[in-house]
Amino acid sequence: MLRTAIAVLLVSLSIGVGRAETQTPIRFGLTAVIVQEHLRFLDRWALYLSNKMDRPVKFVRRKSYREVMDLLEAGRLDFAWICGFPFVQPRDPEFLELLAVPVYKGKPLYNSYIIVPKDSPYRTLDDLKGKVFAFSDPESNSGFLYPQFLLATRGTKPQNFFRQTFFTYNHAETVEAVADQVADGGAVDSYIWEYLQILRPEIAARTRVIKISPAFGFPPLVSSKRTEAKAVERMKSVLLGMSEEPEGRQFLAGFKLDAFGDFPPELFDGIGQMANDTRKALLWLASAEKRVPSETSRK
Amino acid sequence: MKFSLLRKWRLSLSVKFALAITLIVAGVAFTIGAVIVVQDWRRFHAELEEKVLLLARSVAVTAPEAILRNDYWSLYRSLKKMAQPETGDIRATRVVTAMVLDPEGRVLAHLQPKQHPLRLPLIPGDEDEARLLEAATSARSPTVLGGGGVGAEGYLEGMIPLYSDEKLLGVLRVRISTYELFLKARYSALLVLGLAAGLVILGSLLGVVISRRMVKPLTAITRGLEAVRQGKLMDVSTVPVLRDDELGRLAASFNEMATELAEKKELEEQIAVSEKLMSLGRISAGVAHEVNNPLAGLLNCIDTIKKHPEDRELMERYLPVLEKGLNRIKNIVQSLLVELRVEDAREESGLTCLEDLKGIVEAEINGRAIHLVWENNLDDRIRVHSRQVQQVVLNLLKNAVQVVPEGGTVTFRSFQDGNCVMLEVDDDGPGIPPEHRSQLFDPFFTTKPNGTGLGLWIVYRLVESMRGVIEVESEVGTGTQFLVTLPATEVRA
Repeated sequence: MLRTAIAVLLVSLSIGVGRAETQTPIRFGLTAVIVQEHLRFLDRWALYLSNKMDRPVKFVRRKSYREVMDLLEAGRLDFAWICGFPFVQPRDPEFLELLAVPVYKGKPLYNSYIIVPKDSPYRTLDDLKGKVFAFSDPESNSGFLYPQFLLATRGTKPQNFFRQTFFTYNHAETVEAVADQVADGGAVDSYIWEYLQILRPEIAARTRVIKISPAFGFPPLVSSKRTEAKAVERMKSVLLGMSEEPEGRQFLAGFKLDAFGDFPPELFDGIGQMANDTRKALLWLASAEKRVPSETSRK
Repeated sequence: MKFSLLRKWRLSLSVKFALAITLIVAGVAFTIGAVIVVQDWRRFHAELEEKVLLLARSVAVTAPEAILRNDYWSLYRSLKKMAQPETGDIRATRVVTAMVLDPEGRVLAHLQPKQHPLRLPLIPGDEDEARLLEAATSARSPTVLGGGGVGAEGYLEGMIPLYSDEKLLGVLRVRISTYELFLKARYSALLVLGLAAGLVILGSLLGVVISRRMVKPLTAITRGLEAVRQGKLMDVSTVPVLRDDELGRLAASFNEMATELAEKKELEEQIAVSEKLMSLGRISAGVAHEVNNPLAGLLNCIDTIKKHPEDRELMERYLPVLEKGLNRIKNIVQSLLVELRVEDAREESGLTCLEDLKGIVEAEINGRAIHLVWENNLDDRIRVHSRQVQQVVLNLLKNAVQVVPEGGTVTFRSFQDGNCVMLEVDDDGPGIPPEHRSQLFDPFFTTKPNGTGLGLWIVYRLVESMRGVIEVESEVGTGTQFLVTLPATEVRA
């Protein structure tokens, strides 16, 4: 009895050691596009992916999107779950490939929400003029690009329109900043805001949405061009197949997602267009400020 | 103060003892209690001061970097995290507020962001707040200040100026409530108070027991002394001797004294009885002697007259002798009956009756060179048994006149002293030798050849019958003074 137990232990050890030695782990970058605080849930998902890939999958977390993008560029990540805004940024040479797009409420789309404290009097973005505003990440579509775009179309920019802005680098914390009234308003990912309404209502329920953006492509999962094609293929089929089997559906339910789907990169053209428009508007604003500094400063 | 109050209240010794013990125990207990409470408070306060600085330091470590990066969100987050109550810590202190201000006093982060918006100058709510803001913006090293009083509003504020490369970036302020400290101190104060009260109750019970035990024999002795004072010596019950201490010895010696007194009284009574018998015997013997002497002569005369019935000359010679002898017997018997006689004459009158005596005394002097001083200062409205008083004064004056030599002085003085009538008879005669003094008032005691020895005895009996007192002061060669004190019956208005 004891002998068999030892034998089994030895076998399992040799398998473990063999795997660790022969197979380098798959490095999977995560960003604030998902709620990262549920560590045990993410650990279980990592284990699920490892089993499906027959290789250990390791999540790599960084504070900002920029850091994750830098790691991708440096080839130190195989996969990553990033935001649509960094994805549409021009890259030369291209080092990313679209892997999968989450399907949320039946569509691969989400919105940016402009939120304010629930008991505040603010009804429109204009009410927030001269107030404090919280952004999520400087490279977030919903948490920065969209409000920046809104202001740019009004001929102004955040540092002029708001009295003070700050970055929380996390959609969930933007919600918290608005709920605590550290900020009078904030821009967040609709998916995260709704996710928090269910999981952390004590924070999210203290905020109110005053503006909903048009639909944008949901923050996508990408692969590095340096990742071997076989692994990319396998990861893609694993992700896309999650909705087909019970365990995968459990994880999708944990994310409040329907599935991971295969969509063309054109899904993110809307973000690209908005980024372009914003950049142009800001350039124009900068030149206008140079011409008439006093006029813009009055705004 | 305390004891004068007790005296005023006329409290018994046992109550005083018990009160004194209670007061002492209460004083000690409450003093110690107060010291403990104050020390507790100081210790808790010092702990809390350390704690508030510790809390502030936990934020101050990362704050400068966040300020430099304009990362207001992480500044706020670190304040919020610090303010979160440590779960499971029963000694948790409540963070009332916390903030980071820039050197100009603008808010970089505040735990109440709604009331104190980001990047706007902090507006102090009241004078206290303004004082703290002033202190915070001028603080150059970690400081702890208090405010808000002692109760629910009390707080301690720790201020840490934030530097980066010796440049002042702002100040971190953390304010914790001292309410828990107050509650803790109040709890320990109540506990100490309760203990002290318990001690006081125990102490007073002990005091009652001790004082009872101490005072009980004293009360018994007092009762015994009261009985002794009233002369009821037979009523004195023995005081129980409970212990072998001062009180026990006091009880024992009191018992001995009471026994001795009782024995002495018994003895005195026996002596009095035997003295009465003795004086009765003396009177009988005196009467027998005084009556017998003339009787023998008288019987002899009668015998002789019987033998010679025809002898007229004999009859004429013996009849005066017979008469004189019978008169003498009659006098003696009358004197002996003086008390019966005065009983019959209980008439009261003023004191002018004394003036009647002056003539009698002058007749008694009968031309001898004796100076009589007469000072009758009595109010006639005072009522006395005049016949008795006259008799007393007359007897004394007669004696005085008889003993005073030629050229001597006899003084009569009468006056009123309160409710008493004082009668004084002085002479500057030879005085009474000490060996005679104890027999002075005995019947038939006389130093005069023809005296009956009943004069002073009568005085004594009369004074006694009027509930008065007679005192004698005499010095051989200087003179004698008799002083009679009589209660005045009445003063007629």
